[in-house]
Amino acid sequence: MNAIQRKTLLGEMLEELVQRGYGEISVDRAREVAGVSGEEFRAEFGGKDECLFAAYEQLSEEVVQVAGGGCESGGPWPDRVRVGLVALLEELAARPRMAQALTRSFPGIRPAAYERYVALLSRFEPFVHEGREYSGLGDELPGEVELLAVGAAEAIIFGEVDAGRTKGLPAMMPEILFSVLVPFLGPDRAAEEMRTAAAAT
Amino acid sequence: MAQSCATVGYRATTVENVTELAGVERERFDALFTGKEDCALAAFNKFVSETLARLSISASDRRAGNGLDAEQVQVQAVLELVATLPAFAQLACVEARHGGTARLRAAYDSASRVLALMMERLGTGANGSGVSTLQARASLGALEALVRRELTAGRAERLPRLLPDFVYAALVPFVGQREALCQARQAARVVLEEGT
Repeated sequence: MNAIQRKTLLGEMLEELVQRGYGEISVDRAREVAGVSGEEFRAEFGGKDECLFAAYEQLSEEVVQVAGGGCESGGPWPDRVRVGLVALLEELAARPRMAQALTRSFPGIRPAAYERYVALLSRFEPFVHEGREYSGLGDELPGEVELLAVGAAEAIIFGEVDAGRTKGLPAMMPEILFSVLVPFLGPDRAAEEMRTAAAAT
Repeated sequence: MAQSCATVGYRATTVENVTELAGVERERFDALFTGKEDCALAAFNKFVSETLARLSISASDRRAGNGLDAEQVQVQAVLELVATLPAFAQLACVEARHGGTARLRAAYDSASRVLALMMERLGTGANGSGVSTLQARASLGALEALVRRELTAGRAERLPRLLPDFVYAALVPFVGQREALCQARQAARVVLEEGT
């Protein structure tokens, strides 16, 4: 199995998961689309679950890379968070079924799958950590402020994906940005950043 | 039901698992519930009802003199509930949201709307602060993320010690950063004194 076949197979497995549900996934159909034989599949993954978990890892990596790339742009911390958020929301909006796999279909399989989702969310925390220094408050802020910021954004994104409104996520960027910034900067400064972001879009 | 969902998830839970864990006959289960989903909804509603009850108590109702304001007492009471009933909390916060049926998800959405409204009032009083409903949901999401992480890590008993983080997150969008930090520090002192 070459790299392209592997990537195609993993993507198709997530498509199967979203469209048919965990119990109805057709590994054979996913294999056929990717041009992977049963023997190759078993040698690489062993079974359906191992393949699904690998697919989720790949998707998680892609999404983290997209957001992280945005956060590495220049400018003050709130601007970098905004750029990273824009990149993330556009990525999700462009791939609504993958967004559903990321937030609902896969984490709902069973507790071990949900653990991967929690781990994924924790990977966004370093992107907002600099907010402590930028706020001027540093360690005066609560110990879990990074997770609180990520969790607030996740709540909005999850709600929109679950409601089938994934394509509208980019338009919600200013409000999601507010929810990420407010634990670090407070409501007044976060609202100012939100208004600036809204005016720029 | 809650214990089975916490262990294998809602999807893999069967009525047989539940009756075996509960030590009841299938006939008894069938007399009480129409099926697995009905039982899960009953467990969900039990936890949400208890959460709402704890958010309705006033500071004078319990632990008078421990230095916590009314809203801090309410948050503390909910954290203690989660720490006491982690399987129910997992059913309500994780399984109903991610792994459940459409009816369980609708129940989760409905409870979230009520809790977000209560949170808004907790922070601002009945007059509101101009913060949007979406932001109230986001604030609730921040708290839930922390709860879910601790539940997933099997550390529910640690939640009451995180009271300052919860107080801060529940208040900061509504009352401002200075006041939220002040209340979080107050909560931290109480947690330290109580050795929670």
